[in-house]
Amino acid sequence: MDARSPILNVSALSVSVPEKLRIGGGQGDLRLVDGVSFQIRSGERLALVGESGSGKSMTARALMQLDRDVVLKGSVCWDGTELLGAAPRRLREIRGAEISMLFQDPMTALNPVLTIGEQVAEPLLVRGVSKKNAYRKAAQILDRLHVPKAKERLRAYPGQFSGGMRQRVVMAAALVAEPKLLIADEPTTALDVRVQEQVLDLIEEQSRELNLAVLFITHDLATVAGLAQSVVVMHHGKFVEQQNVDDLFSKPQHPYTRGLLASVPRLDADPNRRLLTVEDYMANHGGESLG
Amino acid sequence: MVYFIFRRLGLAALSLWGVATIVFVMSRLIPGDIAGVAAGRFASAEQIEHVRETLGLNKPLVVQYWDFLVHAVHGDLGTSAYTHQSVVSGIGAVLPATIQLVVCGMIITILLAVPLGVLSAVNEGRGGDTAIRLILVLEGGVPVFWLAIMLRWIFGSILGWFPISSTNSLNGAPPHVTGFSVLDSLLFGDFSNVLDSVGHLLLPAIALSAPFIATLARNVRSNMMSALKSDYITFAVSKGVPPGRIVIHHGLRSALGSTLTIAGMQFGWMVSSAVLVEAVFSLPGVGSYMYHAIVNHDTFAVLGAVLIIGFVFIVTALIVDLVQMSIDPRVRNVQVGVA
Amino acid sequence: MKTEDKLPPGLPSTHPDRRGEVSFAYRFSTATSPLAVGRGLGGLARRLFGAKTFLINRIAFGLVAVLLLLALLGPVLAPYDPNAPNTNAALQAPGAVHWLGTDDVGRDVLSRILTGATQTLISAVLIVVFATLIGVIVASAAALAPRWADEVVMRVCDMFMSIPSLVLALGLAAALGPSLTSIIIAMVAALWPATARLTRGILRETMTSAYIESAQIVGMSRLRLMVRHAIPNSLDAIYVHASMEISGTIVMMSGLAFLGVGAPPPSADWGSMIAQGQDFITTAWWVSLFPGLAITLSAVAFGLAGDAVRSLADPSSRRS
Repeated sequence: MDARSPILNVSALSVSVPEKLRIGGGQGDLRLVDGVSFQIRSGERLALVGESGSGKSMTARALMQLDRDVVLKGSVCWDGTELLGAAPRRLREIRGAEISMLFQDPMTALNPVLTIGEQVAEPLLVRGVSKKNAYRKAAQILDRLHVPKAKERLRAYPGQFSGGMRQRVVMAAALVAEPKLLIADEPTTALDVRVQEQVLDLIEEQSRELNLAVLFITHDLATVAGLAQSVVVMHHGKFVEQQNVDDLFSKPQHPYTRGLLASVPRLDADPNRRLLTVEDYMANHGGESLG
Repeated sequence: MVYFIFRRLGLAALSLWGVATIVFVMSRLIPGDIAGVAAGRFASAEQIEHVRETLGLNKPLVVQYWDFLVHAVHGDLGTSAYTHQSVVSGIGAVLPATIQLVVCGMIITILLAVPLGVLSAVNEGRGGDTAIRLILVLEGGVPVFWLAIMLRWIFGSILGWFPISSTNSLNGAPPHVTGFSVLDSLLFGDFSNVLDSVGHLLLPAIALSAPFIATLARNVRSNMMSALKSDYITFAVSKGVPPGRIVIHHGLRSALGSTLTIAGMQFGWMVSSAVLVEAVFSLPGVGSYMYHAIVNHDTFAVLGAVLIIGFVFIVTALIVDLVQMSIDPRVRNVQVGVA
Repeated sequence: MKTEDKLPPGLPSTHPDRRGEVSFAYRFSTATSPLAVGRGLGGLARRLFGAKTFLINRIAFGLVAVLLLLALLGPVLAPYDPNAPNTNAALQAPGAVHWLGTDDVGRDVLSRILTGATQTLISAVLIVVFATLIGVIVASAAALAPRWADEVVMRVCDMFMSIPSLVLALGLAAALGPSLTSIIIAMVAALWPATARLTRGILRETMTSAYIESAQIVGMSRLRLMVRHAIPNSLDAIYVHASMEISGTIVMMSGLAFLGVGAPPPSADWGSMIAQGQDFITTAWWVSLFPGLAITLSAVAFGLAGDAVRSLADPSSRRS
């Protein structure tokens, strides 16, 4: 496959909650993501950045169609096939084997009553791989993600692991069937700083070694700088801009992006001056309101 | 883990002491002359005086309490004023029949409640869910003793599908070995008798299980619903796991933990509801024993039965906790102290 | 959503979609304060029957209202004297004269069910009110008492709860002798520990929450915190628990009466009516059938109303 042509092509994707399912009532359908488009090429690391509530997680979940109650519109084209409206069976084939996902909180993403081995090997087990082979592969991948004594650990339960170890287990389960795209939904938010770095390094390492494309969802610009090659900025469910990572930091186009970059607090800043917020920047550019 | 087992055993012992104390207090609440009540309605003055001596009712209350506890520990809960038999041996003879009935009721409860709860949770908010919940509401409000009467009337008398008498009919009762009629018949390879025993048990067990099915199914439903909404289910979906495996393997496995606890407590409540059902079907069990004791104003036999049912309840709760500790990794790991 | 639940009642909700709404318990407590009885009752009625409430909830509250009305008017509505035997009309099938038939001594079943409603429903409500009051008082006292006393009280609750309530009530009622009073005493004794435990749990959680700690720093006394914050905060859960309890209480009371520890004959009690009819069920099914239906209907109505109260108190469960 040509490295230049995108493997995932998202165009005009919108996600909304129908009026009768809105929690707390309210008029009309609630639009969470509004016409977002972007592409990912094979092996590319793309970051999706935005404040909380900007719809970046909803976008990621919509790619996998994980939410039952939302209405999806637009197009999600994976490797030449349209995923929106695809048969559940086809979706199941893709989930875990071609696209897989890392979740925010590794403490809740693992089933507490099933063994690590079973949960890591599961993407293979449900595809008819024999138990012996699946567990062997599970041990291999845990080993590759630097989980010590991987083979013995297969029989352990998630409760016996620390947060960083659990995120490695989640990653192992996501990577065991050798997918082409990994969607990482704020995979480091729930971890402490030192462990965060290890997990990010691991993601980058796997991406390079396996030519794995990564869609990285985060609100942390520092992470973006270290990991991604290009960045999509989202605000209020809408697409703001897409840039390659160096350009984004050196010459941001949109005032929202400029605001986002400038509101990162600096250690050498004058302590007597109030920190600027995104709103300050947006106010100065009132004409370019995002609605 | 050993520490927690001992701690749990200590708690159980404390509860047993508490139950004994409550029963002692109840026995002294009897208005009027306790010795008169204990001796039975038709006792003569000398008999009453004799009972007062043996019960130690002329001693100080603290000494009476101590004697009561010592006797209880030695398995002596006094004699029935009506049958003049030891309360413990009287109840011991009929306890297996009650346990057999309750186990049977429990099996029916679990077999119906778990699938109903799962179906309801999977169809949350849709027609199937509403229908199941409506059935559960109606069925949960039916009093067991009335249901027992109605079942016996409809299926026993009108349709004639089930025997309405209490004990085995074909070849008489099986030889008494364990006291569990189904088990005894099996032991002697008498299969017609096995069927007969089950036939006698079925209607009472169905009546007994009715309110418990409603409670347990609701519990399964709410556990399943919160399990199905958890992150690990979403993660499993994102791994490409098919829906059947998601519900049964991922959802039900983690939902069953607290369901087991509820089912364990229900076992104890079922023993108490069995009092009502046994009274209707005149099955010889603790319930009938208690019922006859009440009818005959045999208060000490009633209180003995209260103590023994409390004992069964505490022991069941203990067993359930220990079983849960051994099968649920969440509980086990917390106990081991690995975080 | 979760932090929302921890907010003290009375404080307006901070949830964006429900800004300014206050909790059900708060509304209820203002509705019951003498100053605002008229306005409050109107608000409560709107809340219980208003367009925002689900149909099933409205049916439940309607049924409960009808049942309570029957309980109050039962003796007046009864077409015959419920206790007057009439040997000429014994065991008559349901018909135009006796709508629900007569029992073995010729008493009108309908009249007995109606008078039984007064006794059963009113005592069930009383039992739950008493058990709840005792439970809340004990829990609050335990929360204010030193730690060891708190521990002792909760262990005593555990001990009570390790005897199934039916058996506990049965033993107590048997010891006290058959009468309606002893049933009420026995049931209250069997039910209060559950309420106490529930309330204590919520109080413990509230008293350690951040807003209570900050109020303590400002200098509020523990007693004042308890009365002004912690108890009102647990009211929602207590109302829900109490309303769910009524249904079970009705069934359990009838069970006790069925076993013969209830009000002595000739008092018309649903449970003892069933017991009386079971011997001739094959020839006169109506004597047992109708009181049982009355129990089931009341239990279901109060059960549904309990569910409805819960869904009103906890808006997040409305959709489920």
